[in-house]
Amino acid sequence: MATVAVPQLSGYHRPAVLDWIMTVDHKRLGILYLYFTLFFFAVGGILALLVRTQLAVADNSFVGNDAYNQIFTMHASAMLFLFIIPVWAGFGNYLVPLQIGAADMAFPRINALSFWMLPPAGILMFAGFIVDGGAADGGWTAYSPLAQQTGVGMDMWIIAVIVLGMSSTIGAANFLVTMFRMRAPGMTMFRMPIFCWTMLVTALLQLLATPVLAAALVMLFIDRNYGGQFFDPNGGGNVVLWQNVFWFYSHPAVYIMILPGMGIVSEILPVFSRKPLFGYKAFVFATIGIGGLGFSVWAHHMFTTGSVLLPFFGFMTFMIGVPTGVKIFNWLGTLWGGSISFPTPMLFAIGFVSMFLIGGINGTYSAAVPVDFALHDTYFVVAHIHYVLFGGSVFAVFGGLYYWFPKIWGRQLNERLGKLHFVLMFVGFNVAFFPMHMLGLDGMPRRIAVYADSAGWEALNMLSTGGAFLIAVSMIPFLIAVVMAFMRPKDQPDDPWEANTLEWATTSPPPDYNFDSLPPVRSERPLFDARHSGEEQGH
Amino acid sequence: MLGMPLRRRLRLLVATVTAALLALLATGTASAIQPGGITDEARLMNDLFWIVTIAGLIVFGLVGAALVYAMIRYRRQNDELPPQFHGGGKIEAAMVGVPVLIVIGLFTISMIILVQIDDKAEDEALTIDVTGFQFSWQFAYNLNDLGTNTDPNAEGTIAVIGTPANDPILYMPVDEPVEFLLKSNDVIHSFYVKDFLYKLDLIPGRVNSFTVTARETGDFSAQCAELCGTNHALMRFIVRVVERDEFDAWVAAEAARQLGDGALVSASGTQGD
Amino acid sequence: MAAHGTAERQGMTNSMLGFILFLASEVMFFGGLFAAYFIARADAPAWPPPLTPEQIAEGVHLELEVLLPAISTGILVLSSVTMQYAVWQIQKGNQGGMLWGLFISLALGIVFLAAQLYDYTQLHFRADDTIYGTTFYTLTGFHGAHVAGGALFIAVVTVRALGGQFTAENHEAVEASSMYWHFVDVVWIALFTVLYIIK
Ligand code: HEA
Ligand code: HEA
Ligand code: CUA
Ligand SMILES: [Cu+2]
Repeated sequence: MATVAVPQLSGYHRPAVLDWIMTVDHKRLGILYLYFTLFFFAVGGILALLVRTQLAVADNSFVGNDAYNQIFTMHASAMLFLFIIPVWAGFGNYLVPLQIGAADMAFPRINALSFWMLPPAGILMFAGFIVDGGAADGGWTAYSPLAQQTGVGMDMWIIAVIVLGMSSTIGAANFLVTMFRMRAPGMTMFRMPIFCWTMLVTALLQLLATPVLAAALVMLFIDRNYGGQFFDPNGGGNVVLWQNVFWFYSHPAVYIMILPGMGIVSEILPVFSRKPLFGYKAFVFATIGIGGLGFSVWAHHMFTTGSVLLPFFGFMTFMIGVPTGVKIFNWLGTLWGGSISFPTPMLFAIGFVSMFLIGGINGTYSAAVPVDFALHDTYFVVAHIHYVLFGGSVFAVFGGLYYWFPKIWGRQLNERLGKLHFVLMFVGFNVAFFPMHMLGLDGMPRRIAVYADSAGWEALNMLSTGGAFLIAVSMIPFLIAVVMAFMRPKDQPDDPWEANTLEWATTSPPPDYNFDSLPPVRSERPLFDARHSGEEQGH
Repeated sequence: MLGMPLRRRLRLLVATVTAALLALLATGTASAIQPGGITDEARLMNDLFWIVTIAGLIVFGLVGAALVYAMIRYRRQNDELPPQFHGGGKIEAAMVGVPVLIVIGLFTISMIILVQIDDKAEDEALTIDVTGFQFSWQFAYNLNDLGTNTDPNAEGTIAVIGTPANDPILYMPVDEPVEFLLKSNDVIHSFYVKDFLYKLDLIPGRVNSFTVTARETGDFSAQCAELCGTNHALMRFIVRVVERDEFDAWVAAEAARQLGDGALVSASGTQGD
Repeated sequence: MAAHGTAERQGMTNSMLGFILFLASEVMFFGGLFAAYFIARADAPAWPPPLTPEQIAEGVHLELEVLLPAISTGILVLSSVTMQYAVWQIQKGNQGGMLWGLFISLALGIVFLAAQLYDYTQLHFRADDTIYGTTFYTLTGFHGAHVAGGALFIAVVTVRALGGQFTAENHEAVEASSMYWHFVDVVWIALFTVLYIIK
């Protein structure tokens, strides 16, 4: 371990950039992950604004049909593969070793490798825009045979996603070993911070599901380039096979995209309610339950293919609501009877709970198979996607950023600007995505570049576009707050929030080796125990 | 607003935001109260939609109310530490039990409705062959399989073929079961008629089918619902539900146009019941 | 530094655990390919699937000779045994025995690969004829690539063993390479069974 710290210390003599490039320190890699993923959030967001501009009015010709297909495909690919999945690896990298009281990840160099696989993959994927035929345009789901018709951009997309998948798989193994083997003395599995638990289950999902996506992409690549017949009925292949293998990964993947966000929320709510998380163990088992059930519902994306076992997949899909409901009640129970304050991280956490609730409930509509016959591939589903992924995951990302900013960068983000950011984003988000429910019920299919004036969808689309731009505006106070923070000196104490978990037991930002000393770990809230040792602790 | 103490400002904020949300939700549900589809099947699905909506609104209402209540009632008043409870067996059991009951209920109802939708005597149904292609539709009618009123002696098929610029019209008679056979030879498409509250994919290498009985006449716009390439958005069509005699007249005219006079004679025989 | 308390725990080392997790992901990768194979096979009217007249005229026929692959299977299984022998020897501290085990395993692995390449030249179908050829070459091809990777791993371990790097206490790389080798062996047995035996 000292061998890891030494090059860091001598690094003062190297140019800073080189220091960052060569680093194997989990905190620096975590920060690199955050920069990288937030950059692609902006890229994906700008693509989304193009989508919304195109859809703002009927019969629009702002972008052509071909370009439109590329734009929304790359919007989703950036948001999912280059933003939301790796952003959790960013938080996880920074926080997991600190939260379990370790000096680094189990395999620091492999950790650096996982990160450095991302930039080439991102570049490769987006380089599609400059090659003949353009970027991938088959939707992020790349359904075959459509995905076999398009240009070389699709091959670049396939390779990029395989590389991203490899990064996420080895990263997952790293997280698992770290959490299984590197916990501080006294930190039993059931005293691990809840964010670590969600990272653990996420890592398991990544480890077991991502290789299946790799297999699917390999098959698609073979079909496209070597005359393979996997998905070609003329040679005896099966078109729906792609969907089965793809969703076998991609349904668990949606929990890969949300579970760490739930973990972040479960760190924030107790701190600002000044109470422990209500039902810690129930929460852990619910997380494991979601992970397990997540492997048995993939075909709910395929109800209208006419080739899936509707009752089984309908039932399992409904059942996912149960462990998820447990979590909602955990969060309510945490607030209940607390002493709640509302700094910015807390606002985002509560935003998460309320908006994810809507996203979960509108997902349940699709679990009712006959209802999904109507809603599938309409804007209702687009509403669902964004209520869980934006209302859920993105709110958690910002909650986490505001919450850990003092720890990571040693400075506070301005509270006023933070609240303004939250309000604008919350309102903009609902204005952008709530109308999509109505559009979906009114029959507007997703992935269409134009709609007829006579369809009557223009007003709601216009509203939605306005909301999307409001979300973009909401980023301005955030960016100002970040710039302002960086113009100030590092002035944050170890524990500005009166928090519970070990990362707050060290300086802000922490030293290279993380801890000078660790408080004893006798519960899942070692810092709370340290603050209140001797006091009556109630139960 | 800026002059107020922080706490009141916050409370106002919470209240406004909740109100705005509820208003949105209300408009949403109100706009969803639309004619619940034009087929027997769609009406069943519409019922299910409302059952799920009511269950969802109850869950949302209760959880949302609890959330807002907790935020207001338990906001921080002083530095005293609140009681530190970690959870209890009974509440946690209820957290699991109640959703399980709701879920089983919703699942059961949706399966009952699913069975009712699928449960159709398809033998006497009029059959329409639907082929999707990049980027329009072909609707083919077999003259000796035009439903209950078929003249078994009519021969040949008539077809309507559209283009992206010219939406094809799918004629079907009202008040009788119509079966759709869905095929594709290029990529996946999806046959989506909003007023059927239904869609089913057209998948290369297989034939999907479903049956509906329309109860209203009129023109209903419809379109492909599965991304199928450049002009996916233009793969629209119109479903024209008409009375039986109007349908027969259309068939006769098309048969005459497409197959010549010989066909006209036998096809027009379908009207002679 | 209290962080020293986080030193590795008893039992398996971190690297070994990480390696096992990596193998689990490999299992899932092959699981995906196998699933595709079984679905294709279940869909087909017959297996091997019928050919078009043009394909028959071109001389395509979907048949697999069992004898050579059966011998290859024996070779690979044998190499697993010799690999395990190498592990047992070094556990007892016998470097010479381990080296023999490694050498023989490596040689057998190379023979297996050569036999498979030869086998490819004897086949009368290609990957782009039918789903039969596609699945066959994808599955055996990815397996072959893993055998090659495993052989490379053993080669590296052998070089290190020649340098005397392993002892009775410290021979993790030997164990890891043998686990990997067993893994490719088991995958092959599964492949041999479903591709060549089950009719
Ligand atoms: C973060 C990502 C995320 C999450 C968490 C979820 C969560 C869920 N999703 Fe979602 N989903 C997506 C991302 C996500 N989804 C995406 C991206 C797509 C589209 C992919 C594409 O086609 O491009 C999709 C599509 C999708 C479909 C396919 C729709 C279609 O194409 O026709 C379905 C169908 O069942 C579905 C269902 C669900 C369900 C039941 C949950 C459940 O996990 C939700 C559970 C939560 C609750 C139910 C709320 C809380 C519970 C309670 C308060 C308890 C009481 C409640 C009840 C008893 C109901 N999702
Ligand atoms: C994490 C996932 C995620 C996120 C965050 C978003 C965010 C947004 N999405 Fe996206 N979306 C998906 C995942 C996501 N989406 C997926 C999976 C699909 C399905 C795709 C498919 O069908 O294949 C989809 C599809 C989709 C559609 C449907 C397209 C179609 O079917 O035709 C639409 C339409 O409005 C849309 C809109 C938006 C909007 C307006 C946002 C906004 O919230 C974006 C807000 C963000 C910004 C506005 C960026 C802000 C930052 C800046 C501006 C910084 C400035 C930068 C610098 C100074 C450098 N999305
Ligand atoms: Cu056909 Cu979309
Ligand atoms: Cu899903």
